[in-house]
Amino acid sequence: MKKAILILALATTGSVFAQKKTTTSATVKFDATTKLDALPVAENKTVVALIDTKGGTVAFEAQIKGFQFGNPMMQEHFNGPKWMDSEKNPTSTFKGKITNVADVKFDQDGTYVVNIEGDLTMHGISKPLTGKATIVVKAGAVSATSDFTIKLADYSLGNAGGKLADEPKITVSADFK
Amino acid sequence: MSADETKKGWLKKILIAAILLLLVGAGAAWYFFTQKFEDTASTKAEYTVNALDLISEFKKSDSAANKKYSEKIITVNGKITSVESADTTVNLKITNPEGSYIIFAFQQKDLADVKKIKEGDSVSIKGSCSGGSYSEILETEYITFKRCSLNK
Repeated sequence: MKKAILILALATTGSVFAQKKTTTSATVKFDATTKLDALPVAENKTVVALIDTKGGTVAFEAQIKGFQFGNPMMQEHFNGPKWMDSEKNPTSTFKGKITNVADVKFDQDGTYVVNIEGDLTMHGISKPLTGKATIVVKAGAVSATSDFTIKLADYSLGNAGGKLADEPKITVSADFK
Repeated sequence: MSADETKKGWLKKILIAAILLLLVGAGAAWYFFTQKFEDTASTKAEYTVNALDLISEFKKSDSAANKKYSEKIITVNGKITSVESADTTVNLKITNPEGSYIIFAFQQKDLADVKKIKEGDSVSIKGSCSGGSYSEILETEYITFKRCSLNK
């Protein structure tokens, strides 16, 4: 009996694990460009991401220093104590849920638009974030993309006298395994 | 010289100084705004390390290793354990037996060479270390690099 319970427990954890797909090469693009300044745009290609195809949990972890700018001065300002302060707040995270995960058939090829609700943490501040994402299932592989805007003021980040967009655009893409 | 002429002379000097300052300022602004990162291939590495040793060093003390390596150009030698597509580009990854890993994102100009690399290949990579963190998602330490170049 005990053995049966143990086997059952192992089998359950095993299947739960299989529903969690991750990647260590998700990309997050940050675009705060304005007519005054074309430089504040960066990309982080080494973001850790997770999707739970059963429960609908989604999570992202991005190192702030992993954002690559074209301009060295802009990268320094982004990480500096007056902005992200990456020494004190080294990572930004998103933890949330796909609210209509049952609509996605992860065992069938297709494109699905889903609703996501969660909390985005950056600069040491957590705020609720809701948005849409597109999930593509193709030959068993799951990929997801999403774009949304955030309000700098919500995360107590300044707009450098109007040179930065008050609501920068964030683009996320992930190929899960 | 009358008082009026002295005043005019001063005004002229102030005007010239202001124009000079403006030109210097504009020049400095131009320099900073058009500046680009140097090609990593032509930048000297501050440290040369073995990949698995670097992971161990970060696991031993994340804060000490971050202080030592963050934002420094480092050459890392090791055997590639996986090649991952990242949007339209490719990342190389070296994972230790416990699942902790280093991941390298490359400069655009190196991508053609990077795409030729396969699992199991021994490589030497030079890049800017973005530091290490503990991933709550994967429950492991990970170290990321950006702007990498393959050493030939």
